[in-house]
Amino acid sequence: MSATAEAPPMRIIGHPQPRIEGRLKVTGAAHYAADHHLPGMLYAVPVGATIAKGTIAAIDARVAEQMPGVRAVLRRGSFPALAAAKPDFASVADLEGTVYVDERRPPFDDDTVRYYGQYVALAVADTLEQAKAAADAVRVTYRAEAPEVDPALTAGEMTVKSERGDPDAAFAAAPVTVDQRYGMATETHNPIELHATIAAWEGDSLTVHEATQGVVNHRNVLAAMFGIPREKVQVISRYLGSGFGGKLFPWTHSPLAAAASRQLGRPVKLVLSRPMMFHAVGQRPAITQRIRLGAERDGRLTSLRHDYVNATSLLDDYEENCGEATPHMYATPNLRVASGLAKRSIGTPTSMRGPGAVPGLYALESAMDELAIALDMDPVALRLKNEPPLDQGLGLPFSSRHFQECLTLGAERFGWARRDRRIGSMARDGLTLGWGMAACSWLAERFPCSARVELRADGTARVAAAVQDIGTGTYTIMAQMVAEALAIPLSRVEVALGDTSLPAGPVSGGSMMSASLVAPIQAAITRAGEALVALAAGNPAAPFAGAKAGALRFAEGRVAAAEGNRQAVPFDQLLRALGQEAVSGLGRAEGTFPPKEKPTHSKHSFGAHFVEVTWQPELARLRVSRVVSVIDAGRILNPLAARNQIEGSIVMGVGMALFEETDYDPRSGAPVNASLADYVVATNADAPAMEVHFIEYPDTHLNALGARGVGEIGLAGTAAAIMNAVYHATGIRVRDLPVKLEQLLG
Amino acid sequence: MPDPHSEVQAAVTLRVNGAEHTLSIDPRTTLLDLLRETLHLTGTKKGCDHGQCGACTIHVNGRRVNACLALAVAHDRDEIRTIEGLAEGDRLHPMQAAFLQKDAYQCGYCTAGQIMSAVALLDEPCGPEDADVRELMSGNICRCGAYANIVAAIQQVRGS
Ligand code: FES
Ligand code: FES
Repeated sequence: MSATAEAPPMRIIGHPQPRIEGRLKVTGAAHYAADHHLPGMLYAVPVGATIAKGTIAAIDARVAEQMPGVRAVLRRGSFPALAAAKPDFASVADLEGTVYVDERRPPFDDDTVRYYGQYVALAVADTLEQAKAAADAVRVTYRAEAPEVDPALTAGEMTVKSERGDPDAAFAAAPVTVDQRYGMATETHNPIELHATIAAWEGDSLTVHEATQGVVNHRNVLAAMFGIPREKVQVISRYLGSGFGGKLFPWTHSPLAAAASRQLGRPVKLVLSRPMMFHAVGQRPAITQRIRLGAERDGRLTSLRHDYVNATSLLDDYEENCGEATPHMYATPNLRVASGLAKRSIGTPTSMRGPGAVPGLYALESAMDELAIALDMDPVALRLKNEPPLDQGLGLPFSSRHFQECLTLGAERFGWARRDRRIGSMARDGLTLGWGMAACSWLAERFPCSARVELRADGTARVAAAVQDIGTGTYTIMAQMVAEALAIPLSRVEVALGDTSLPAGPVSGGSMMSASLVAPIQAAITRAGEALVALAAGNPAAPFAGAKAGALRFAEGRVAAAEGNRQAVPFDQLLRALGQEAVSGLGRAEGTFPPKEKPTHSKHSFGAHFVEVTWQPELARLRVSRVVSVIDAGRILNPLAARNQIEGSIVMGVGMALFEETDYDPRSGAPVNASLADYVVATNADAPAMEVHFIEYPDTHLNALGARGVGEIGLAGTAAAIMNAVYHATGIRVRDLPVKLEQLLG
Repeated sequence: MPDPHSEVQAAVTLRVNGAEHTLSIDPRTTLLDLLRETLHLTGTKKGCDHGQCGACTIHVNGRRVNACLALAVAHDRDEIRTIEGLAEGDRLHPMQAAFLQKDAYQCGYCTAGQIMSAVALLDEPCGPEDADVRELMSGNICRCGAYANIVAAIQQVRGS
């Protein structure tokens, strides 16, 4: 179900569209990075450090180098040192110039080991089997030191991120308070596609097939590391086996593969193993959060403090921005959000789906549930009571916020009114039921983006941009935008993306891709239309011979004279009459993130999740059985893919609440459960019945279509709603994710 | 275990999607790597190489198998079917068509494995309920979490 308010009717946008690249995906014909084969290609397998802290004493590759098919065992000094890329996060706002990388140290930069699995050597051979055997045969000795692996996260220094009023005094004076800590284990992205690089040099030019969520940024980082002009590097990522943030920014295996290729004068393919996916390609770090809430007896929040500390690597300062949603979620005159870092012997963390707000809302929404219980108040009513009139953190109006409707509609669809608040009081088929709910929010911004649209004489159109489709449906959405604007069928639009030879586009991150594409595609169509009009006006053979360009209009794929009632001519007919193959236009639009100037509105999506869990104490069996989510994310461009995004997020939220945890051995610092058998993600049997509703209020502050993006918001709040339901079923408040069954057995 | 220093080769004849390939291979080669790196049938994916994700699911003599756990030399003359061999020319297998229609994927990386598992499931003893399908499809991880649509696609084919 979806309700549309004040939206002009559209033919293609807003209607469920199967993916245009779907046929390639179901036939195995979509080529992901590791599916490419280049003549003479060699295989590379990295050797990872088996200590988490210390120095390399010696690397003995004599045996490995003599093995059949082995071309080289590369280590520090084997090739000219790579430059550090000098990353600057603010540069992601620079369309062509973005240079960002989370792990700053180039591979093989020194002999210091800072985390388990850090690459220390690279075996390269004719076949994969030979390279693997060679990597196994490399003997590395270390001078090991005790790693920093203390799971208790304490920060030396806290940085205030947002503050208003006097939260300490208000908390002290509040008649009802909550003061709790919430922990979250390290999570590893684990996209099913392994990170992969295929690098090939031709003279001084480098071509890389990479599993990346950002081809342009990846290109720029490689160019910086190799000290060559950007124009000399091409990065291709046409199909991506998803990334969830783990493939946003380059990791060290990619320049390693490129360096090996340059050194050996052959294309090199490097695919990480699943254990390596836990080492040097980022993770959502372990986080501890403290939430302090103060409220009046009627439920009005008077004080909100949110302190969080995340683990980061020894070299980098990745901050999990847990307080992102806290200042705007609820009304309160007094608030402080503060953040700190705890340096550990781990690989550099990175963004993982909904970075910041997802863990932050787990803590805040759990605390809100605890407050509702302390107040003896319904948790939906508590949230309705604290609706802010504006974003009190930024002091700005919301561009569009329909959070209360999410709450009331969700409650209605779920049947929340039938909830018996008493612990363990509800049952079905001999199972104890727990009903819980939580809110969600995610930012809505745009990256700068460009795109080219070509109109062709055969009636088709092509849209091209160096963006990525990470599984979110970008191919289809780009085609929808063009088909809608040109009034042609979807099947007549060809989409090219994932290649730096196309007009520059941003990383696929922050759920911002669709919103970022609207304006450049519209501008490109306008430019192409202008080119067509200019051609028509100047050509005596054309149906508009003699007309001035200014007297012709291009709209809905047709050219018409502004005056008189001559029939509008479709672009393909006109092109044929003009004897032209095609016209094209380039469009470009600036972004809003990171903001270069003070914004006028607070732009966020909102939502609410209602969750049912079943609990069988005799078997210690906990299941998430049913979820109803209502999402306020502006206009939904493709309801089929959008629903899939929210459902997929809910499934990931089940994993976050019940299963997902990367375990570091406190002695060696190694992630000990580095496999898909031991790092448990939700399977088909774990997926609940899901009902997703979109309430659609197009938010034209962000773009003309009013779309805000749906890739991440579904994960926000889900784990909190699940744990709130678990409390309702069991009376046990679990404040460390993932839940362990022994905690529930009391 | 073969001596990694030797260059032992083993002869094997594989019948893949109806075509016969007689090859001399490194005996360490898994069926998955052979399909992908030698025959360039890259529709079958590697997600773990340890039988834990299902991305590499293919059919060997009509039954679903994790190709990453199979040594190629152990499948001399076996009948192997991969995702590339499922459609008949331009005509998609009903399971492929159902996956497309139901949006039973996102990134598409697990999809070949899901579809090969799902097609094999049609001939397995599987109860009628969604829960039965979910259980039998739980060896195929979809990290994108498109499970609801995967079940819907399979049930549509089973119902028809
Ligand atoms: S690659 Fe074979 S099961 Fe994962
Ligand atoms: S569609 Fe991405 S893993 Fe299943």
